Parts: sequence; structure tokens; C-alpha cells
Amino acid sequence: MATQAERVFVLPGDEIPASLIPSHPKRALKLGPGLRHMPPSELIPTVAGELVTDHKKNSIWVEYNGGRRPGPEYYYVTITDYNPNAILPQLAFEMATKKTRPQLTHGALVYARVCLANRHMDPELECVSPTTGKADGLGPLVGGMLYDISLGMARRLLMRKSVEEGKVAVLEELGSAGLAFETAVGRNGKLWVNSESVKTVLIVGRAVKETDDDKLGVEQQKKLVRKLIKEMS
Amino acid sequence: MTVTTEPEALLSHLHKADGSATYSYAGYTVIGAVNGPIEAQKRDELPEEAIIDVVVRPAAGVGGTRERHLESLLQSTLRQIILVNNFPRTLIQIILQITVTPENEYVNGKLVQANVNLPVVPALLQTAILSLLSASLPMTATLTSTCLAIISEDGQRHIVKTPTARQIEQSQSFHVLAFTSQNELILAESEGAFTMKEWDDVYSAAYRQCCTTAATDDADTLMDEGLPTDTDLRRFIRSTVEQKTASDLYWK
Repeated sequence: MATQAERVFVLPGDEIPASLIPSHPKRALKLGPGLRHMPPSELIPTVAGELVTDHKKNSIWVEYNGGRRPGPEYYYVTITDYNPNAILPQLAFEMATKKTRPQLTHGALVYARVCLANRHMDPELECVSPTTGKADGLGPLVGGMLYDISLGMARRLLMRKSVEEGKVAVLEELGSAGLAFETAVGRNGKLWVNSESVKTVLIVGRAVKETDDDKLGVEQQKKLVRKLIKEMS
Repeated sequence: MTVTTEPEALLSHLHKADGSATYSYAGYTVIGAVNGPIEAQKRDELPEEAIIDVVVRPAAGVGGTRERHLESLLQSTLRQIILVNNFPRTLIQIILQITVTPENEYVNGKLVQANVNLPVVPALLQTAILSLLSASLPMTATLTSTCLAIISEDGQRHIVKTPTARQIEQSQSFHVLAFTSQNELILAESEGAFTMKEWDDVYSAAYRQCCTTAATDDADTLMDEGLPTDTDLRRFIRSTVEQKTASDLYWK
């Protein structure tokens, strides 16, 4: 290759011989890493390494080993027990800046969306909608309790019409029975339930788990809810 | 008698630091480690440039006022050649651990304690530069540094390059100078009594020692004879880093 012979070792501040600076008649000169342009026409290396010139591409750069690239910091999130951890950038939260990012401790629970899933890479999560910058209900989940449910159940609960299409009526039944609670369903088979009263959390969790485990139909679910409410009071 | 041993250096030998170097010359050995650019403490950070944090640790005991003074000298020198504007609101940390000092350095402890420890400055600066090069932090230039003493013998004063600890003790005045690779004076510290003429002589002697390679730079493969007898610091830095780069880029 023609560029091979032109490698020259440079230290920061060295003068670059004019013969090594490519001059393509048409293309603009491209500066790669390790070089600094001092207007009007001075080029100065800023790191120690080998100066490489590519006359064809009209580019010049310094090749070196090492250095630190400041990158974003991540939380590592377990999606399932048997998968490698997903990464959740610390700034992928609503209104998060370097100074105001959420402080999540070990074992914290987040409601997040998978924004990058690639066969050969760790999945990446986000807790904010990249288009609107709003959380849309995503974010750290504080308090409450986490239940493991089957993936099918999670999918049914997430359906738009979960009663008609998914045939799960427990949550609606519990709600109309006067219990106040909130849930978050993860496609990884996790159900998070929170409420003011611990009893409600336990009942809701039990109801969904029993529906899931015993493959209850809509009528049986209603019966189960009535039984649980009765037991509670 | 001046110190005749050649400088020695080891680059990138600490694997947890971004860059590191151990440098020995004139009876001093200093280990340097550089980390950066890393996140700065909120109250320390500067909005438009990186903070240079220099930590000097003595060979024995914990650092005191002397070390803080050395740190401030090094900090103000190094921030002029590191491109601090490239990394606003970050921190570049340079840690220099002195491991070996010349023999009678700590002999009469109390007296030495009161002094500024200038003779170690060249070794600290050179170590810092090598560590920064090893960390590939962008800089405008490299620098070389030397120390000289003026000693009077039989009423005649003469300049001694890289004096020994004993010579420094007996000297009339002692000077540390550093030059960038563009031959600009970047650091000049002196102690003792001297005249302006003497300082000019010291300056030109240091200049010769620190800035000689520049002229022979292009032909540095064939120029091994005609060089001055004392150590060519600039060539030393260049060849050390060149070796390291060559081994880094062995795959080419």
C-alpha cells in the first residue's frame, strides 16, 4: 500500500512535514484523531503516535493505543434470571440530567421499555420516550411487591382489551369490589402491585397468580375474587 | 562530579491507570499515574476547562507543605501544555510517587524540611510528561526539564549540570528550568544568591541541555556521534515513547 511508507512517529507539538499533508484537488482535507488545526494553516499533533496519511481519502490522523473515552454510565438490569444483564443508561429517565439522575440502589425495580434488542449485543432499556421526553408511566417502581407470572399471563394482561381478548377479569373485578391498587406488568413475566394497604397487595397478587396457575376462566375468576374479598373482611 | 547514569523509563506498566510511567534519573525514581478525563467533583469542576490535579507523594512519610508547593508548581506548568479546553468540567489526575531519592537527601531532616525540595522537580516533570503521553492525553507540546547549580571553587563560580545532592548543599544558587518542545521556557525556579549574568548563563546552559535535538531531529537515525556529552533529554523522551508506540502498533 502506498500509505505504508509514510508512517512517521510524532510527539505532541511536533512539526508535520508539508509533504505528509495530503492535498487532494477536489476533496476537503479530513483530520482524524490526535491532530489539532491552528488557523490559518498549521497542523499540530496532540498525542504521541504514528502519523498516517491517506492520499486517496485526503485524510490524515495519528494512530495510537490507549486513552480514555468518557462514556455514559449505566445501570445493569436483570430482565430474567437466565439472561445477561440489560443496560439502562443513567440519563434515560424523564428529566434526567447529570445532576438530577435517579439514584437507584442495588436491587431497585424499574419499569422500562426495551429500546434495543439485538441478537449479539446486550439489550438496552429506557425509561423515557425518546420522541416526547416523557416517562409515560415508566421509571423506578417504589414500594409494592413483585410477583412472578407466566409469560402468557403477562401478555394477556398487557392486551388492550384484556377482558375480552385475554380473558383475564381478576383485576377489573378486584377494582369494582372497591380495592384501590396499581399494577405494572412486564413482558418478562413480572407483575408489580402497589397499594396503600398491604392486604390489598397480597390479594391482588394472589388472585392473578391463582388465575395463572389454575388456568381459571372468567367465571371462575369472578368466583375467586368474591372468595378472596370475603376472606379479607 | 555530575551524575553520569542515563535516564531510564518504563511506560504504561500500571494496568489500572489510564497512563503510567516510572522514571529514574540523577538518583531519583518517580512512579507516575495519570487518570483522565474523569468526572470532576461538582464543587471543583471548571465550566470551560479540565482541572489538573497533581498529587506528589514523598518517598518517606506523608506529604506536607513542601509537596503542596511542588504540586502547585507542576500544576501550573502542566496545565499550559495539556489541552484543558478539550475536556470542560472534567478532571485529569496526575499522581507522582517518589520512591528513591539521592543518598543524603534526608540526612539532616529538620534543615531539609524547611527548604523547598526543588531538585526533585525535573524528575517529577519528566515522569508526569511520560505518564501523560502514555495516557494519550492531548497536549500542545512535550517538555524537558533540568536542574543546575552554581558552585564557587577558588573564587571562581561555575555551573554544574544535574548536580548531586552534596553539590547542591554546597552551591551558591540552584535553578530548575523547563522548556517545551517548541523551545519556550515554561518553568524557572531558583533559590540562593545569584546575579542576572549568572542567571543568563544558567538559562543558556539549560537551553543547550533541553533543546538540542530539535536541529538534528530529522536525521536522528544517523546522528549518534556528534551529540553533546550530557544526556539528551528530548531524544530520551522521543525514543522511549517511540518504542512504546512501535510495540503498541506491532500489528501494522
